[in-house]
Amino acid sequence: MTIGSPDSTVGIEEHPASAEPVRGSAVPHGKSPTRVAVDRLRKDRVAVVCAGVVLFFILVAVLAPLLTKIEGSDISTFHPEFVDEYGFPTFAANAQHWFGVEPKTGRDNFARWVYGARPSLVIAFVATLSGTIVGVVMGLLAGFLGGWVDRVISWLVDFVLSLPYLLFAIAMVPIVESMRGGSFNLSPEEQASTRFFVLIFVLSFFGWAGLARIIRGEVLSLREREFVLAAKAIGVPTRQVLFKELLPNLVAPIVISASLALPAYVTAEAGLSFLGVGLIEPVPSWGQTIATATNWFKADPLYLWLPVLGITALVLALALLGDAVRDAFDPKTRR
Amino acid sequence: MQWKRITAVTATVMLAAVACGSPSSNSGKDGANAGDAGTAQEKATDATAKGPAPELDGAKKGGTVSILADVSPDTLDPTNIYFTDTNQIGKLMYRALTQYRLDGDSHKPVLVPDLAEDLGTKSADGLTWTFKLKKDIKYMDGTPVKAADYAYAIKRSFAHDLYDAGPVYQDEYFKDGKTYKGPYGPNGANYSGVETPDDNTLVIHLAKKFDDLPYYAAFPMFTPIPQAKDTKKSYDLKPMTTGPYQVDSYTPGAELKLKKNEHWDPNTDPVRYQYPDAFDFKFGQDTLKVQRQVLASNGPDANALNYSDLDSSLVPEVKDQSQLVTGPQPCTTVWGLDTRKIPMEVRQLIAKAYPFDTYRKVAGLTPKSAIPASTIMPPAVPGYEKYELPGLVGTGKGAEDPAVASEVKAKLKELGKENFELSWYYANDDKIATQVTQLRTQVYTSAGFKVKAIGVAKAKLRTFRNDPAAPVNIGQGPSGWCSDWPSGASWFPVLFRSDAVELSNSIGMLQDKTLDAELNRVNGLTADEQLKEWPKVDKMIMEKYLPLIPLYYSASNYPVGKNLGHVINDPTQGLPEFTSIFLKQP
Repeated sequence: MTIGSPDSTVGIEEHPASAEPVRGSAVPHGKSPTRVAVDRLRKDRVAVVCAGVVLFFILVAVLAPLLTKIEGSDISTFHPEFVDEYGFPTFAANAQHWFGVEPKTGRDNFARWVYGARPSLVIAFVATLSGTIVGVVMGLLAGFLGGWVDRVISWLVDFVLSLPYLLFAIAMVPIVESMRGGSFNLSPEEQASTRFFVLIFVLSFFGWAGLARIIRGEVLSLREREFVLAAKAIGVPTRQVLFKELLPNLVAPIVISASLALPAYVTAEAGLSFLGVGLIEPVPSWGQTIATATNWFKADPLYLWLPVLGITALVLALALLGDAVRDAFDPKTRR
Repeated sequence: MQWKRITAVTATVMLAAVACGSPSSNSGKDGANAGDAGTAQEKATDATAKGPAPELDGAKKGGTVSILADVSPDTLDPTNIYFTDTNQIGKLMYRALTQYRLDGDSHKPVLVPDLAEDLGTKSADGLTWTFKLKKDIKYMDGTPVKAADYAYAIKRSFAHDLYDAGPVYQDEYFKDGKTYKGPYGPNGANYSGVETPDDNTLVIHLAKKFDDLPYYAAFPMFTPIPQAKDTKKSYDLKPMTTGPYQVDSYTPGAELKLKKNEHWDPNTDPVRYQYPDAFDFKFGQDTLKVQRQVLASNGPDANALNYSDLDSSLVPEVKDQSQLVTGPQPCTTVWGLDTRKIPMEVRQLIAKAYPFDTYRKVAGLTPKSAIPASTIMPPAVPGYEKYELPGLVGTGKGAEDPAVASEVKAKLKELGKENFELSWYYANDDKIATQVTQLRTQVYTSAGFKVKAIGVAKAKLRTFRNDPAAPVNIGQGPSGWCSDWPSGASWFPVLFRSDAVELSNSIGMLQDKTLDAELNRVNGLTADEQLKEWPKVDKMIMEKYLPLIPLYYSASNYPVGKNLGHVINDPTQGLPEFTSIFLKQP
């Protein structure tokens, strides 16, 4: 087991990399598990394709304003001239509206699709990041310090895991709205953004506990190891032991849990928006679009299939990538 | 009469089937004849109508009719019923003093005696009405109906602290109506407004002339209620019924099962039938899901109907046009402008800028269910006269036209009202409402207004809107109105007199002494004179006060199952007439 980053000079000789194939003489020393994993990932074709898909969606989300500009439309302009008196679009797609228009309102489908990628990705990434940070810190503290800190944090973890997540997501919205000055003083945009942040908060709040529990377990086994005991014995401050000695050994479980959390959060956002407790108009989101489009699936299939395709591709890519990451980090995987 | 209450139903339509390869643009155009707002209903009466009602062609007895409603009624208490759908349900169970018979192919409503022998006789001064009551009427448990029960029901209708949703004309017109507080108080038994000199006579004393009383007497409020059986708020769980059906079981908000009332005598009833064995109402269903079910008519769904207007997205799924029941509704939907807070000149600009065409599409209004409106009274109300004020015809682009937008902007500047703030409540958990609000916000912002739309939960929307002191200036009070009976008297005094503000009935919050005087003057005229005067009042209010923007007259367009026979639209309420429905194959 290595300690620290590959170029660190500490303990190279005593710690030959365990899962490492025999290296050529040109390689001066062992690779870290992270490096090993990245190398493995690079060779994994599924992982590379999935990473490409994820990158594509990230680019779509980032470049949404540019893309809509190229198409020449925006997300909010109503185009009643493109729907008939029953609300059905009068055409499937054309040069100005690549994916057609929304029934009833005539808003541009393409613009709403590319902008719809944004909340999904932003919410998933931010929630994963904050959930992971909190989970790791809590797990490290609980596992390493033990005693009452451990008991308090473990109790907290159990408590959070026992809370009803869906009810929480629904109940948070009015509470936060009243904290922001009451629904009377909020514009529709502010109300929609409240929902956005509430979603991020709820997802990260319920995401950290599971990870904290895993990290705590890992730390419990690690803290009795010689290198930790040695660090403690020579008087390394606790903070340094936690983040310099223990954390590098936890990269694998952290990366795995994060890569599995991402697709779960994308689905959760879409699911909550579909049920009407997630994002609301005027923020475009795939979940909402699917909820509306199911009523029109016979007349306007494109309207439904685009967001469905978006979510499916993104979640599938993230999930397969997560799997590949886990395999790559797992020393027991043989290829 | 208020519209059937729309309760929050989260759209949870399943991805049940896969989209077939039909083109995205629709096929709804075939058979797309514009909806029917109806022609003016005449005030027809037939005081000599006798039971039984004539047999219907092909009618068969037996079976269960299920009614899959997407709304959930609050109450089925006869005193508290004021929504059109509960009124229609009430017609199955409660017989009142009078009732409407629907005549001929156009289903023209004719007022006929129901539990009364005639349509009432009024005294020379018009302040005392005498109703002769039919003999040998029994409740569903076999106990006889007494005249005192009619009197008790009327007394009960004054207890507004218990029954807060019912109609309130009795407060104004009945003797001591403003002071009497119902039969439950210490002095409750003493009410001089009703008398029962013998066991089949009911006398009603009025405070002022009310020639439309026989029409008002068709409300379920006038059904007999025995005092001994009155359980107040829980009366609707086990009500004493006189109609062809009685409550089998009732779970408020979810389900109502009706079974036959063996003690109903068809020979006394000129209106109702008793063909099906039972009615099964399911409330709070998902609109699209049940409409799709009813249209498909598979298995038991062939015996079902839904009484909401067909969602426009389902238009291509209608294979058989006979599955759609159409007809007029006596209702107008409007956008109220608070006359206390918005100056007249600004109100005119708001109306000028209204984007009718886009609004209709975004709100999902189809030509079949929503006819562009230009007046307050819909065509179904007697005396209706069409007039069109410029820009107020229910169609047009409004300020979506950049020329109009800049014109409105310039005029606002001229008036010194730049960035005049418009504010309204909308349901932020209802997609259509949020989209309509987005549209209005865009259009009015481009026309130089400042818009503050306040999103609230759908379930609370009505409470907020009904508060006359609400901090908004648009859309308070009812968002539409339906006739309580075919006369302008159930429109203008109710909506535009000063006292309506207190009763949360006001559209536009008008409190104008001159208008009050005019409304009272017309209301005091004879029925025939009123017929000529109400349309003038209609136009005068729109020209002089502009308390609202008329949006559309609603028309019925609801799906029924294939096995249901004689489903006709009741033009007095815009709902299916439940009492004459039968199953073709029971």
